[in-house]
Amino acid sequence: MKMRKLMAAGLCVMMAAGLTACGGGSSDSGSAPAASGDGKSLTINIWDANQQKGIQEICDDWSAESGIPVKVEVIDWDNYWTLLESAASGGTLADVFWMHSDYSQIYMENDILLDLTDYIKNDGVDMSQYYQDIVNIYTREDGKIFGIPKDHDTIALLYNKAIFDEAGVDYPTNEWTYEDMYEAAKAITENTADDTYGVGFNTSNDQDGWYNYVYSYGGTIVDADKKDTHIDSAEGKAGMEMVRKMLTVGTPQQVVSESGTDSLFISGKIAMITQGSWMINTFYTAENAADYAWAMLPYADVNGDGKCQPEERQSCYNGLGWSAAANTANPDAAAALIEYLCSEPAQIKQAELGVTMAGIPGISEAFANAFEGMDVSAFDQIEAEGTLYARPGTRNSGVWKNPMEQAEGFLPAWQNPEDPQVMADACDNVAKLIRDAIANE
Amino acid sequence: MKQKQKMTAAAKNEAAWGYLFVAPTLIGLIILNFYPVINTVYQSFCKTGDFGKGNTFVGVANYAKVVAAAETWQSLWNTIKYALIEVPLGVIIALVLAVFLKNKIKGVSVFRTIFFLPMVCAPAAVAMVWKWLYNQQFGLINNVFHTNIGWISDPKIAWIAVGVIGVWSIIGYNMVLFISGLQEIPGDYYEAAEIDGATGIRQFFSITIPLLSPTTFFIVQTRVIGALTIFDLMFMVMDRTNVALNKVQSVVYLFYQYTFTQGNKGYGAALVMVLVVFIMIITAILQACEKKFVFYN
Repeated sequence: MKMRKLMAAGLCVMMAAGLTACGGGSSDSGSAPAASGDGKSLTINIWDANQQKGIQEICDDWSAESGIPVKVEVIDWDNYWTLLESAASGGTLADVFWMHSDYSQIYMENDILLDLTDYIKNDGVDMSQYYQDIVNIYTREDGKIFGIPKDHDTIALLYNKAIFDEAGVDYPTNEWTYEDMYEAAKAITENTADDTYGVGFNTSNDQDGWYNYVYSYGGTIVDADKKDTHIDSAEGKAGMEMVRKMLTVGTPQQVVSESGTDSLFISGKIAMITQGSWMINTFYTAENAADYAWAMLPYADVNGDGKCQPEERQSCYNGLGWSAAANTANPDAAAALIEYLCSEPAQIKQAELGVTMAGIPGISEAFANAFEGMDVSAFDQIEAEGTLYARPGTRNSGVWKNPMEQAEGFLPAWQNPEDPQVMADACDNVAKLIRDAIANE
Repeated sequence: MKQKQKMTAAAKNEAAWGYLFVAPTLIGLIILNFYPVINTVYQSFCKTGDFGKGNTFVGVANYAKVVAAAETWQSLWNTIKYALIEVPLGVIIALVLAVFLKNKIKGVSVFRTIFFLPMVCAPAAVAMVWKWLYNQQFGLINNVFHTNIGWISDPKIAWIAVGVIGVWSIIGYNMVLFISGLQEIPGDYYEAAEIDGATGIRQFFSITIPLLSPTTFFIVQTRVIGALTIFDLMFMVMDRTNVALNKVQSVVYLFYQYTFTQGNKGYGAALVMVLVVFIMIITAILQACEKKFVFYN
């Protein structure tokens, strides 16, 4: 009898334990960030599956030297930040992970990230060798450094030669203006099947799409000092007016929001899109990759001299940072791994493997050769012949970014491209959205 | 009186064991349900800080903003529209299916399994498959019928298209409940009705429907609450730049946007509290209806 009671009690305890364990685990189920605990190995979280293999290879080089195994885990972008936030709140972050400009400030202010300042000083890491805009993203106002630049990315124009041939239109060149691009898009839309368009972009193609029009025409989304926006200035509106013109011959918003411009391009329904260097692999491995080619982004001939000044050809650029958790069990190893990953040899290898371009200027030529049979030099070339501007953001960009791309922002203008007034009004609405968000930060 | 004040040793022992046995459920409820509920109510009065730290009390400011926002009421109306499709159609179709599949026809278990299958599938997977069935350019529906309809991007019909997915997902579950309810109706009633010359349809409306009303009521009540808290369908099927999103997004979808995308947990909490109050009102009305329409024999 007693034995039975004991067993029953034991079962109850186990059930209760099981229940509470479920409770604790439910917030970070699946491939959640896990604390390494023992400090004898390191866990890395990233969001891009395309890069996993290359990153793991570079980490293995480091493991061979340090004797500390490293495991790279991928959580897709949509879930990455939700899981990272719950892991940060619950204290179960991975040792080392990617940081992004949209989120770095909040993470730095709340001491979630490991302070790397002393490691950098003691190990003599030269922070001036990196892109300074990217260094700034991961440096707190008080000068402490919480991340080291991992890479940089730029934007280029991707086109489908087969559709250009079918429509009898000349291929894009590096001397194109946005007006030239519009004329070509118009000709393709008119000379091909009804469901095939010369150009296509969604309101959410921001960094890789319409942001670059705004900056090339002299406007801004968020000023460099993060205090104001110039999307509603005459220059900003001129850029969005060019966007509107392009949309009149582009794929309707209803279509791009359902199928996505990348899928439509790969299906041969759009002749031209603009995309970022982080997406090359998607098109390189596509079925009709032989038809695809890249050109530099067009420029806006603002002063009408028929030549491209560097400030007339602007590409958004952004860079990820390698950061570590403040409460990692092995901060020394985590910092050493980050310093290795951001060192010049590792970043050259990163470019050679075709993972991404480097966070250090001038060492990314190898990247252009990483994709055999596809010329991707346009991504590197724009750095020399154009201007790179840092991806616009404020402390909590999520507050204005989504509404900006939905009904409160540019969506009505994308739906009614024939009416210039709708676009002008949308610019004013978006400016108000951004200013309100900045005021509340 | 004395008996109430003093428990015998045996009774105490029994009570202790009783508590021990309900403890797992109780602990689970407190940790997983009660604590979050109280915390949500508290947060709805706060301007919440980053990573759940540094909440500052702001009174009813969040509620004032929620009530003043047109999108709140639009999303509540969207949610109601979804419930108006899912609940009646989900109940009627499931009832008809249950009546057919109650009898021992050939392959009955195969049919029952087929209709129940959507319930076993992960909602996210279901939504992904439907998303591509509905796709305007490459979708199976438009290609088979040679139409060019933006099923999930035309604001006029997107809410119906999403409702149809909801109905399809739920009829199997409702059907199983109906079958078990049908099996509890004594066969004598039908025999008596047959002798009196009642047709099958007459039997259905005069015997089956009244005697099945407790099951129907249970399904209606649980499904109304389920439909009013719908989130995953809209989230999976519609891109955030979809032109029809404003006419389809539910209250919980809006809650997700504010709480997790924008990190404004206080506003999100206030938004769900509005939904909770609305569900309470609906439930109270349903409970009042129970006395009138539900027949317990």
